[in-house]
Amino acid sequence: MSFRDWYRADRLPTIYCAGCGNGTVINCALHAVDTLGWRWEDTIFVSGIGCSSRAPGYIRTDSLHTTHGRALAFATGIKLARPELHVVVFTGDGDLAAIGGNHFIHACRRNVDMTVICMNNWIYGMTGGQGSPTTPRGAITTTTPYGSGEGVFDLSALAVAAGANHVARWTSYHVKELTNAIDAGLRTPGFSLIEVLTQCPTAYGRRNKLREVSDTIEYLKTHAILLQRYNRLVAEGKPVPEDMFTVGEFVRRNRPAMGVPP
Amino acid sequence: MKLAIDSSRCKGCNLCMLVCPYRIFKEGKEQNERGIILPELDRPERCPNCRLQKLYGRTLCGLCQMICPDQAIRWDDEAKNERQKVEVEF
Ligand SMILES: Cc1ncc(C[n+]2csc(CCOP(=O)(O)OP(=O)(O)O)c2C)c(N)n1
Ligand code: SF4
Ligand code: SF4
Ligand code: SF4
Ligand SMILES: [Mg+2]
Repeated sequence: MSFRDWYRADRLPTIYCAGCGNGTVINCALHAVDTLGWRWEDTIFVSGIGCSSRAPGYIRTDSLHTTHGRALAFATGIKLARPELHVVVFTGDGDLAAIGGNHFIHACRRNVDMTVICMNNWIYGMTGGQGSPTTPRGAITTTTPYGSGEGVFDLSALAVAAGANHVARWTSYHVKELTNAIDAGLRTPGFSLIEVLTQCPTAYGRRNKLREVSDTIEYLKTHAILLQRYNRLVAEGKPVPEDMFTVGEFVRRNRPAMGVPP
Repeated sequence: MKLAIDSSRCKGCNLCMLVCPYRIFKEGKEQNERGIILPELDRPERCPNCRLQKLYGRTLCGLCQMICPDQAIRWDDEAKNERQKVEVEF
């Protein structure tokens, strides 16, 4: 079997814009569940609302496409009622960290046994490009037409601080590393967040000098710095190149978790 | 096996072009019936999967298929009695 067999072929192509990174992230997630040997009947995909949250609709297992921001609350419900099921959540930066921010930190605190894959495209893609809690400073969105002046949530750091057992960040360019990170998340009991920086050429790129799909891919490729390398530079007191973001595994630990099958 | 792009799925984003180490995907020129300009394939038989996927029982490299956000890249079996084209590039 291959990851392609997990798709509902009759629903393809997706509604996503040409070059949207969401499809790549779904490929990697399905490849990870497929190589783990999970069965369709035991695996359930959950999401909120947004372009990213449409992912479960393209997958042939059972799924819950819930309300905006509430995917984790529904997923927690599944885990408490049927802990033997594998629960994977697809969400966006808006869905997870804006309207769903409180569910996010408390699902981490409770360490509920699920894997959450967040397509962080720095924007509300589906509704036409409003700023989100991850919109970088200075970025142009429909709600920040003169450039955003707000601080930015680091979703991975938030999840580590709130108590998640496994947290990693990669991008839609790093497909092999991303697949391995999702695999680690699926295997770790307790809450796992995989944050994926993902291109949205339509609502974000177009307004922020990343018009071509390849522009954001180039950015992701050249601005990602492996956590180990970053830590080494800091330890040696060497300067870290500016505007870099760390990628890699931030934490994997074994705190008490909720919803782990007996 | 033969490398193929599913013309009913591809949206012409050219992400495959960015990742192939053999530069098999080239910018296309002609629109298909859906108005999409598909990439063109330059000697696709150079892809190691065409020769070795069956032998090894797994996909080698596979970067294009993994990054393709529209699940449009696949390898098809040759038709019965069809000759297999082979080209090896190191
Ligand atoms: C309660 C509620 N408020 C607002 C909306 C409108 N809405 C739909 S999607 C969305 C933002 C989605 O952003 P994100 O989660 O980042 O997803 P993306 O489209 O970027 O993948 C909003 C505000 C809604 N559907 N429901
Ligand atoms: S608006 Fe952005 S996130 Fe939504 S489908 Fe288009 S490119 Fe993807
Ligand atoms: S599998 Fe690798 S070598 Fe083969 S076409 Fe795809 S990217 Fe190129
Ligand atoms: S990555 Fe997929 S959708 Fe994009 S041009 Fe290549 S085959 Fe077409
Ligand atoms: Mg978003």
